[in-house]
Parts: sequence; structure tokens; C-alpha cells
Amino acid sequence: MAPKAKKPAAKAPAAKEEKKEAAPAKAAAPAKSAAPKTSKAAAKAAAPPKVDAGVVKAKDKALRAKKSVVRGTHDKKNRKIRTSVHFRRPKTLKLPRAPKYPRKSVNKTNKLDQYCLIKHPLTTESAMKKIEDNNTLVFIVDKRANKPMIKLAVKKLYDIEVAKVNTLIRPDCEKKAYVRIAPDYDALDIANKIGII
Amino acid sequence: AKVKAKELRGKKKEELLKQLDDLKKELQILRVAKVTGGAAAKLGKIYTVRKSVARVLTVIKQTQKDNLRKFYRKKTHKPKDLRQKKTRALRRALTPYELSLKSKKELRKQRLYPLRKYAVKE
Repeated sequence: MAPKAKKPAAKAPAAKEEKKEAAPAKAAAPAKSAAPKTSKAAAKAAAPPKVDAGVVKAKDKALRAKKSVVRGTHDKKNRKIRTSVHFRRPKTLKLPRAPKYPRKSVNKTNKLDQYCLIKHPLTTESAMKKIEDNNTLVFIVDKRANKPMIKLAVKKLYDIEVAKVNTLIRPDCEKKAYVRIAPDYDALDIANKIGII
Repeated sequence: AKVKAKELRGKKKEELLKQLDDLKKELQILRVAKVTGGAAAKLGKIYTVRKSVARVLTVIKQTQKDNLRKFYRKKTHKPKDLRQKKTRALRRALTPYELSLKSKKELRKQRLYPLRKYAVKE
């Protein structure tokens, strides 16, 4: 305690000068910091706040450490108040995935693209009838294709709008798709363009 | 027009993909010709175009894999398909370093009783 008492005494004359110069806010701040146990309380209050606070903090810490050593660390534990008979698993931290390496270096490409999907158009007599009368085109498609996929593929390949798609699987295990074209497009024109007339 | 792999390897990915697209479109046309009874020349071309498509895809995949291997060469954590395949058992076996480790007892014995070589005096 003795060396600490000397310190504020040395700083007191300098501090008094500072006090006169310093703004009122600055004078109030050091006054708030923890009061030392020497008689020169007022002088010390005006001393530079940084050094003062540091010294006081260190002293507090030392006292607390001394206390725990002397007492031992078997203080009373804080027991939780349990309001329910059941013990529920506590919620812990769940981190999102952040892999260090991708498991696969390359992702699979889509093997069933628009070209694979639609194999070829049909040119049978009944298919020709459909083109003229019902504004539909008839395709043989991949067996794994479904109606929305067929719709998209036809749109992409021939730049046309599709009204609806009907599908069936032929006895020779191939899928046939009746693609009805939107009324503002002509199936006959498209058939000519493709080359099936 | 036969597509050669040697020519393909120099090209960029976008160019290759565009070429792939063109080839597939050509294949579509040829298949339609097949259905509508096309000329023999067209029908024969189907085979070459199919193989060209395969060639382009192969080159794309090969260059992709090659670049990935270069990228991961110095890294500790590689994707599993870029690691050594060997066999499942070999991958789980002890590493050469782990095999070489000796216990203190063994090291002591080695130091105290090294292999001696004797010579027979003539």
C-alpha cells in the first residue's frame, strides 16, 4: 500500500495544474473511477485516469486472488432451479458444413440433355394425320423422359410453344410423345423445317 | 469431316462445348433423315458423328480432370477420386513411417546388441 500512496503524492502538484486546465467533463471522469484508500483522495481523482484505473484494477485482482487462496475454492455452487420433472437435452451449437475438400472432384454432367431426350420424330401415316389435323408433332423420346422435360426440350430445339404433351410406352419399349403445339404455331411448317414431310 | 482429338486438345472449354452442341444438332438431323429414308451417305455419317461427339466429351473430361489434379497437387486434402486408388486394404494399412516406429525397449536392444560381422583369420 505504501508505494501506492507515494505515487499519488508525487502526481498531486502536477495534477492540480492539470485540474485547472482540464475541461469539466475530464475532471468528472476521473472522479468516477474507484476511490483509493489514501487520504489524498481529491488530488488522486484529478490524476491521469489511465494509470489510476489500471493500478486499482490490479489491486482488486490481487486481493481476490488472495481471498480464494486463503478460503479455498469450495464455495457454494449455484444450483439451477428445475421447473420440470423431465430432463430435456440441452441445445448445443450446430455448425454448418465447411468441408476441407469436395468429396467428388467433378460433379456429374446431365447425360440426358435435350438432344438425348428426343430421339427422332415419327413419320407414319397416323403421325402425318396428327400433324395436319390436330397441330401436333409425334416424337419417339427417351424412356426416362417425362412430360415437362419433353415440353422444355421441344421448346429449346424448335423454338416453339407447346400446348400439352401426351405420352405412352409402345410395345417395343420406346416412349412416344404426342406434342400438341400452341395454336399460334403451325405444325406443318415446323415439320417442313425439321424435314419430316 | 473427321474430328481429331489432337486438334481438340488445344481448344478452350467454351469452344469445345460449342462444337459439341453443333455435332449433336447434326446428329439429330441425321436421325431424322434415317426415319424419312435418307441417302446412304447420310446414314453412314451417323457413325462418324457419334464417335466425334464421344471424342469431344472425352477431351473435355480429360482436360478437366488434368486441371483439377494440377490444382490439388500441393494440397493435403484432395477429393477422394484424385487420391491413390490402390486397394481398400492397402489404403487402410500402416504407413511406411508407422511401420518403422520401434519401442524404446527395441531401440535399446538394437543399440546394445548390433549385428556383428566376423572374419575368419586365414
